[in-house]
Amino acid sequence: MQAGLESALAELVLGPPVDREGLGALLSRHALGPEERAAIEGAPERFLVYRKLVRNTLRNAVGLAIPRTMARLGPLFDDYFERFLAERGPRTHYLRDVTTELLDFVAPLWADDARVPAWTHDLARHEALEIVVASLGEPVVPRELGPLDAERPLAFIEAARVVHYAFAVHRLPPSEDDRSAPLREPTALFVYRDAEHDVRYLELTPLAAAFVERLLAGESMKAALLGACAGFGTEPSVALSGTAALLSDLSARGALLGQAAAESLRGPAKTSDHRGTLREKGPP
Amino acid sequence: MNEDRRTLPNGVGLGLRWEFLEEVLDGPPLAVDFFEVSPENYMRRGGYYPAALERVLTRYPLVTHGLTLSLGAHAPPDADYLRELTSEVERLATPWHSDHLAFTSAGAQAFHELLPLPFTRDTARRVADRLEALSETLGRPVAVENITYYALPGPTELSEGDFLGELFERTRAGLLLDVNNVYVNAQNHGFDAEQALASFPFDRVVEVHVAGHTHTASGLILDTHGAKVIEPVLALLERALAHTGPVPVLLERDNDVPPLAELVAEVQVIRAVCERAWRAANRSVAVSTQRARADASRA
Repeated sequence: MQAGLESALAELVLGPPVDREGLGALLSRHALGPEERAAIEGAPERFLVYRKLVRNTLRNAVGLAIPRTMARLGPLFDDYFERFLAERGPRTHYLRDVTTELLDFVAPLWADDARVPAWTHDLARHEALEIVVASLGEPVVPRELGPLDAERPLAFIEAARVVHYAFAVHRLPPSEDDRSAPLREPTALFVYRDAEHDVRYLELTPLAAAFVERLLAGESMKAALLGACAGFGTEPSVALSGTAALLSDLSARGALLGQAAAESLRGPAKTSDHRGTLREKGPP
Repeated sequence: MNEDRRTLPNGVGLGLRWEFLEEVLDGPPLAVDFFEVSPENYMRRGGYYPAALERVLTRYPLVTHGLTLSLGAHAPPDADYLRELTSEVERLATPWHSDHLAFTSAGAQAFHELLPLPFTRDTARRVADRLEALSETLGRPVAVENITYYALPGPTELSEGDFLGELFERTRAGLLLDVNNVYVNAQNHGFDAEQALASFPFDRVVEVHVAGHTHTASGLILDTHGAKVIEPVLALLERALAHTGPVPVLLERDNDVPPLAELVAEVQVIRAVCERAWRAANRSVAVSTQRARADASRA
C-alpha cells in the first residue's frame, strides 16, 4: 500500500492541478486501499499543503541558481517548471542539483519553442555553473609533479570545466532587470574554482578551448596540441607560444596543478578574465 | 544506545546555517554547546562549505541530521546516497546520525519535503528494519525524528505514541523528539499536546528539537522553523525534559534567520528552561530515592 500511496501523492504534489472530480480520477490510477483513499478524499486541502511546500522548496532552489533566466522568461518559465515537475520530477537527493536536472529536461523543449529566445539555455547554464563549479570535488593532487614532459598528461584541479555557448551570455549585465540580448558569438569558457572558492571564468579562443579540453580529458600536452591544431588546420609551431602562455596562466591561477611543467613555458597571455559574482547562495 | 549517549554533545545547540557560518568560524566562542548540520548540504561536493565545516568541527561538536533518506518509503534507501552519507558521517565523526519518520521520495522522484507515513504496524516494522540496517551501514547509532504531519494518509491503525512504541520495540535506534512538531500536530489536529507527549517513549529520547512555526490564513500551522520558539512549546519542552533527563536540545531556525546574536540569546532562554527541568528531574529522583530508602528501612 505504501507504494500506491507514494505514487498517488507524487502525482498530487508534482502533477497538474486537480479539482475534486479530478482527485477521484487521480486516486483511481493508483493502488490505494479504501482507507488511504478515504483519508485523502476526506481532507484534500490538507494533502494539497504538501503540493505547495514541495513546489516552494524546489522553486526557491532553482530561483537561487538561475534568477536572471527566470526573470527573463517570466510566466513561460513557470509553464516549463510545471512540465518538469509533472513529466519528470526531481530525482536527486541534493537540492543544489535540481536546477541541472531541470535544464537537462527543458533543453530540447526550449530549442523547439519559438517563444523562448535562442540564447536562453546558454544563459541558464551559465548562471547554474556558479553553483555547479562551486560544488565540484576537491583538487586531486597528482602523484608526480615532475619537470615538463610533453609526452605526459597534465593535472588540473577537479573544479574545472570548459563550456561552450552559442551566445556570449557571460557578457550580459548581472542585473535581473536587464533584458538586453547577448551577441550570437561562439563562446568557450574555462570555468574553475579558485583558492578562495570563488568561481572564475576565462574566455578561450576555439583553438585554446580544444587544447584545454583534450588536456582535461587526459591527453599529453603534445597529443592535445597536435589534435587541437589538426582540428583547426593550424600549424602546431604557430600555436605553440599561445598555448604555452595559456598553460602558464592556468598554472598561475592554481587551476593547473602541474605547476613545474607549466612554469617552464613562456609567452604572452591571450585570455580575458571574468570573475563570478556568486560564491553560492542559500541552501544547496 | 545508552552507552553511546555518553559521548554525545550535551547542553543546548543550534542548527548551523550558512547565513552565519562565517561568524561561527571566525568570531569569538559562542555560548552554544554544539551545532547540527544536514549532511546533504555538505556531502558529495567540494568547495567552500565542506572546508568550512571541517573548521567548525575544530571549534564545536557537530551532529548530523539528514533530510532525504526517505526512511519510510516503499523502496529501500538509495545505495549511492547511503555510500555518500557513510563517507560524510565518517568525515564529520558525528556521534550519531538522525533522519525523519517520513518518506521523501516516490520511486525515483524526490520531494525534498517530509511526507507523512501511516501509523500502522507494517510501517513500524519497515522503518525499524531500515533503522537497524542504517546503523550497521553507518557504523554508529541512529535516531529518528517525529515529524509534523498536516494530514495522515490512513489507515490510522495506531496513535502516534503507540506507533512509536511499536517502532522502538523493534529497533535499538533513538528518538529525536521534536516538541514543536508535537505542538503543531496537536493544534492542527485538535488534540492535547501534553497528553500526546505523555505517550512518547521518553527512555529512547537521545536529542530534543525545538523550533518556531507560522500560522497561515486558513488557520493551519506550518512547521517553518521561521520564528522564535513560543512559550507553549517551551513549556512542552520543559515537560519532556522532566521525563528524559539531560539530553542535548537543539534550536532549529531555517527561515527568516535573524542575526546570530539573537539566536544565541534564544539558545540561552532554552538553556534556562532545560536547567530548570533537569533540576526538577534531579529533585524528583532524589525524593524518590529517599522515599525508597525510607520504605526499605521501615520494612
